Amino acid sequence: MMSFFQMYGQKILTAIGVHFLYVLVSVSAGFVVALILGILLSRVPGLARLALPVISIFQTVPGVVFIGILFLYIGMKPATVIVALAIYAMFPILKNIYVGLLEVDRNLIEAAKGCGMSPIERLLEVELPLAVPSIIGGLRMATVYTVSWAVLASMIGLGGLGEFIYIGIATNNNALIVAGAVPAAVMAITLSLLIDWAKWRRAGKTGQQ
Amino acid sequence: MIQFENVVKKYGDSVILDHLSFEIEEGEFAVLIGPSGCGKTTTLKSINRLIEPESGRIFVEDRDIMESNPVALRRKIGYVIQEIGLFPNMTVAQNIAVVPKRLKYKKDRIDQITHELLEMVGMSYDEYAHKYPSELSGGQQQRIGVLRALAASPPIVLMDEPFGALDPMTRSVLQDEIIRLHRKLKKTIVFVTHDMDEALKLADTIIFMDEGRIIQMAGPDEMLENPASELIKQFMGKRLATNGVELLTAADFMKPHPASAYRSDGVRKGTEIMARRKIDTLLIKNEDETYAGSVTIGNIKKFGKEARTIGDIPLTPNVITYTTSDAAESFEKLLDADSDFVVVLHQDDTIAGIVTKTSMARAMADALWGDE
Repeated sequence: MMSFFQMYGQKILTAIGVHFLYVLVSVSAGFVVALILGILLSRVPGLARLALPVISIFQTVPGVVFIGILFLYIGMKPATVIVALAIYAMFPILKNIYVGLLEVDRNLIEAAKGCGMSPIERLLEVELPLAVPSIIGGLRMATVYTVSWAVLASMIGLGGLGEFIYIGIATNNNALIVAGAVPAAVMAITLSLLIDWAKWRRAGKTGQQ
Repeated sequence: MIQFENVVKKYGDSVILDHLSFEIEEGEFAVLIGPSGCGKTTTLKSINRLIEPESGRIFVEDRDIMESNPVALRRKIGYVIQEIGLFPNMTVAQNIAVVPKRLKYKKDRIDQITHELLEMVGMSYDEYAHKYPSELSGGQQQRIGVLRALAASPPIVLMDEPFGALDPMTRSVLQDEIIRLHRKLKKTIVFVTHDMDEALKLADTIIFMDEGRIIQMAGPDEMLENPASELIKQFMGKRLATNGVELLTAADFMKPHPASAYRSDGVRKGTEIMARRKIDTLLIKNEDETYAGSVTIGNIKKFGKEARTIGDIPLTPNVITYTTSDAAESFEKLLDADSDFVVVLHQDDTIAGIVTKTSMARAMADALWGDE
């Protein structure tokens, strides 16, 4: 056991760092894109009817296939992994932003109009704040998924915790599989709890449920 | 202040506002009322351009509203919606500040306004300003909804069934408050309701609408006296059945079965009745049941020792009226008389009841608000 950690300890730490970085960067990028698209979709009703089915079809393309295709075009760069993960992370966030905005009480939007809020003020001060619980829900889902999808990075030799799992499977070394899987699981749970905590704190602050 | 000229609004084939024309004066409390779908809410929302008509013109402060920027227009017009409509993500103070902030008021001025407004409805700033709407009761929330509409001192306030969702008690309190605010601030208020009681209580002018047209526009008294259509009569409901106070008789107002004794009853029996019913005057009947007069506790004390029967004590005459007499006449007698009550007699001079100030007040309340 000791010798295992002596041999792989440093590598595992690096892999955790790389893995976490993939998750952080791609979820952040996905979030920004989702926010812009979600707002756009909620403003233009016809657009949503067109875009949502396309997105849900796209979502069924397996991650492995998608990374493979991107690999052909972009090559063996971290950008390949990040672009792929960001696109996958975007879907649940986008859906929740759209639904969250759509579910804002029509009465409140009318009240905001009646108070003389401009469309942009309405969005920033009423609609988005009220959609936050739903948006955070999407963010959490995206984060948890991305932690597991990031395992695929090692498929094209770009590190992360997946490396241990793939090598472990290839060499029939259970210790290596565990060394990759356990930190990934812990990372997913920790991030999920962290987001829940942020949501709970905010809810406490605004008296919302 | 607000003028409609031939305003037409259609949704597809159905006409919601049918060549609507009317004018609301400055400082007036106008109530729009009518059955569902009569166009009252559409009319209200046309004033701040939440709904825009197909044709016709609407003037606010002598300016065609289609020529003003809708956002700027709405900041000049307070708006209170049904179901409260406070922003749940903002505190009470932030909700009140929504319009002043957009009008770029300075922060300390906004603070001052918030203090003053909360004080005006009896809510302490320290206790409530930093609470979120979900922490308030329904009545408190709607108070804040009204304050938010008033915060930037708009000359006009629109209210769309603001008290509809509240329990009757809270609604009544808020109605009193809005009357007080209107008197104090002299705003022009346009108020939508489907509740005629509310309209009669609040309005300077009631605008009764049906199928996108005005059926009658009149003050509450005028509408009560001369309702212009069957539909309005239905809305008035119970109040009209009695057709005002004039047709009521003393019998409708009296308290029946007052305490009484025969002349031949013993003094002791008389005082027992008075003690039991907690009264200081006892009506006295002759043996044939006709009214004879009354004895007071004062006279019983004075003459009771020598007297054997009540008949021996000097009787005090009372103001009397008959069951068929006009109620108004009985009231006048009661108010003119020194006595606390008027005795009501049947045609054969037997005792029917008494009218007191309490029974009068209760009966008038019943006549005005129904006895629900």
